[in-house]
Amino acid sequence: MGELRRGRISRREFVVRCVGMGLGLGTIGGLLAACGGREQAKPSATLASGDLGPIERELHIYNWSDYIAQDTVPNFEREFGVRVTYDTYESNEEMIAKLQAGATGYDIIVPTGYVVPVLVATGLIAPLHRKYLTNWGNVSPIFQNLPTDPGTVHTVPWQWGTSGVAYRRDKVSTTVDSWAVFFDRRLGGKMTMMDDAREVIGAMLRYRGHSLNSVDPAELARAKQDAIAAKPQLKAYISAPVKGQLVSGDVWIAQLWNGDTVQAQAEEPNVAYALPKEGCTIWNDSLCLPASARHPRAAHEFMNYILRPQVGAAISRATGYGTPNVAAAHLLEHPVAFPTEEELTRLEFPVDLGADTATWDQIWTEIKSA
Amino acid sequence: MRSRTPVGLAAVAVLVYAFLHLPILILVVFSFNASKFSAEWRGFTLEWYHRLLERTDVIHGLEISLIVAAISTVVSSVLGTLLALALARHRFRGRRAVEAFLYVPIVTPEIVVGISSLLLFALLGLPLGIATIVLAHVAFSLSFVVIVVRARLEGMDTSLEEAALILGADEITTFRRVTLPQLWPGVLAGALLGFILSFDDFLITSFVAGSGSSTLPLVVYGMARRNVEPSINAISTIILVVTTAVLYLAERVTRER
Amino acid sequence: MTEPRRRLLAWLQRRPAAQAWSLLGPGMLWLLLFFLIPLLIMAAYSVMPRGTYGGVQPGLTLEHYRRFFEPLYLAILRRTVIWSLGCTVVCLLLGYPVAYLVARAGRWRAVLLFLVVLPFWTSFLVRTFAMIFLLRDSGLVNTVLLRLGLIEAPLTLLYTPFAVLLGLVYGFLPFMILPIYASLEKLDPTLLEAAETLGATPMARFRRITLPLSLPGVVAGCFLVFIPAMGSFLTSDLLGGAKELMIGNLIQNQFAAARNWPFGSAASFVVTALVLVAVAAYLRVRDRAADQAG
Repeated sequence: MGELRRGRISRREFVVRCVGMGLGLGTIGGLLAACGGREQAKPSATLASGDLGPIERELHIYNWSDYIAQDTVPNFEREFGVRVTYDTYESNEEMIAKLQAGATGYDIIVPTGYVVPVLVATGLIAPLHRKYLTNWGNVSPIFQNLPTDPGTVHTVPWQWGTSGVAYRRDKVSTTVDSWAVFFDRRLGGKMTMMDDAREVIGAMLRYRGHSLNSVDPAELARAKQDAIAAKPQLKAYISAPVKGQLVSGDVWIAQLWNGDTVQAQAEEPNVAYALPKEGCTIWNDSLCLPASARHPRAAHEFMNYILRPQVGAAISRATGYGTPNVAAAHLLEHPVAFPTEEELTRLEFPVDLGADTATWDQIWTEIKSA
Repeated sequence: MRSRTPVGLAAVAVLVYAFLHLPILILVVFSFNASKFSAEWRGFTLEWYHRLLERTDVIHGLEISLIVAAISTVVSSVLGTLLALALARHRFRGRRAVEAFLYVPIVTPEIVVGISSLLLFALLGLPLGIATIVLAHVAFSLSFVVIVVRARLEGMDTSLEEAALILGADEITTFRRVTLPQLWPGVLAGALLGFILSFDDFLITSFVAGSGSSTLPLVVYGMARRNVEPSINAISTIILVVTTAVLYLAERVTRER
Repeated sequence: MTEPRRRLLAWLQRRPAAQAWSLLGPGMLWLLLFFLIPLLIMAAYSVMPRGTYGGVQPGLTLEHYRRFFEPLYLAILRRTVIWSLGCTVVCLLLGYPVAYLVARAGRWRAVLLFLVVLPFWTSFLVRTFAMIFLLRDSGLVNTVLLRLGLIEAPLTLLYTPFAVLLGLVYGFLPFMILPIYASLEKLDPTLLEAAETLGATPMARFRRITLPLSLPGVVAGCFLVFIPAMGSFLTSDLLGGAKELMIGNLIQNQFAAARNWPFGSAASFVVTALVLVAVAAYLRVRDRAADQAG
């Protein structure tokens, strides 16, 4: 018992065994991976028809965190007699990765527009039954029939926003109306951009007058140069959490979403918001029905519920973002105004980049490594 | 005369403790600050604590986290101690391979562990929930426990065990009465590590948790990333207070025995 | 003792390998099922072409591994290794005294150990935000220094390498302290006393008695800090302003925005392989040293 002898094998034997084990296990792994491939549901481009049956007793919602009013779900539960389980996520990518890896159990998800075509192509979401969405007439035409969802077959718009520039008008004397502000050396160390490849590269593309969905190598190379030129002036790449430093004055200029700016303004009225003249992102998040949803009727009832003016208004009041619901917008005291015709010419919806996503990631890696 | 810890060493240790606890002190203090974002003290308030009471998601998240952490700590401590014993005390074919393999969970990035675990669970058709979280948590914390217990085992004096065996005790009794008490500080240290790994885990859990089984970190990360609100300070303060109280009580109880 | 137990033990006694595997069995089975197999699935992914919308397509390719060895990515790897080494060294310097104090603290041991671990009952994000609050331009440190008149303008502490190191060390200290404590706890104070009466200086006592005894804990602690530090990504984002990429950030991006799972898993396996090589080398050296020692 006291003797501890160490087994010794020759190095060559060790290597041989490792290789053998590796090949064997790799084959098993490959087989498992192949088995994992699922039957892809055929993507549909038309609204669903047919009957969904009576409303179920449960509903499982998977939404962004802090993206709803406190009483929306309890009121829905009470009125429809449905028990709601509400979970949250932090990013589209996390949600879509989870679904692509096979997670089920959710009846409603809330992807941003550019993710919707991906979800459709991979058969992860199902077309909606418009007949249950009796409040559909409240939806603004701006958010219908978008290129990311032709015919608005798969989505019910939830909230929308823009990605512009928030700034402290009491600290910054120059006019903030262009992406060029991020090249201004005098403001060095007081500015931030979002930690998001689409937003940063997109902003630089718009600065040069290109589309923020561009996959042209020359345009992207230029955007990369610009982003690297802006980097020394930046304090950090930080997204929504920059609010705190905007309020405290550590940061004077931040690329930020309008809803977050509104929240910062509540604490510090000197925070202002600008849509750069070269243009910027307008995005919208929508409710979608996962193909694996087990409570589709309850999901549709919830979608219809939030299309009510009072409910939609309450949600926007809580989040600070724009409501795509025209009737709800009328009820708000300080609505985030629908984009004007003029503004719409400058605003662009992001779309999925498909295979070029890898190119954009390479560029983002290079910017970060600069 | 008892040899005392050198003053310099003690001073560094005290500074490190201060370093560890300063951010905690701040977050506790600011859980009472009447301001959402600001660094300035804008008055004392219990508002954030009141808000917590309304947040059933936070309370539910805490429940789930505690259950998951408790189960996975116990499982990984037991399995990990057995593994450490086997590696330190026995020779067998493939021993070095097993040892090397135990380092893999530590180095594999959490996102790889998270997604691959989900792939497996989906393949097996396992519904996502507390069980899947525990399965994943034990899998990644086992190695930590093994390494800590192993460090304890190495150089541990085996003469007491040998004596027990000579005196007629069987292996199991020897383990229970002689080895385990000696090993205990290592097992405890490993268990503590395993607990905080499980309780604080975010990324892996976000992939393997199902609808309705969001742990506290999942809820808190949501509150913190989008909407930095002192409510998260409040929940952390409550956790600290409750933990301290529970452990204090546990200490009193065991001392009386 | 009961008959079945005696029969089982007798059976086991004749088979040393079975003894070992009965201890190994449950743990290894768990790891095999819930860690190894998922990992193998990932390994298979790493040699398949990227699917257009994420995930993979059928096929076989070494493209992702080849791509990882481009200078851009190797630079990221190098940077991460340096950071992780730095973090490990600082953790060792700061953690050893704490472990020593706790191990020698007698009846205060439980309390001190608890105090080491207590901060980690709060969430990582909350602690990090508290650090941001401490370090930012209008944060506590700067405010205090300004009030005391020690500085005239706020120091840039946040979004610097210093902040990242601070955050990493903070997060990994218990991983260093706990194993060293577990090792040091065995230290018999009478040994030190005897050495002192025999005339040994504190330095000599430390070098000849304490340090060798704690060495397994030190090594364990270094591994438990260095290896996960290689995979960390949130700290450099939150405290470093996301201006640099660690290998953890790169891999994270591949599974998230880049939707390039195969490249992400290839990168992750290269890092794993590197670490395993280092670990295997260490194990070889350790076994050889133990053999020589007796």
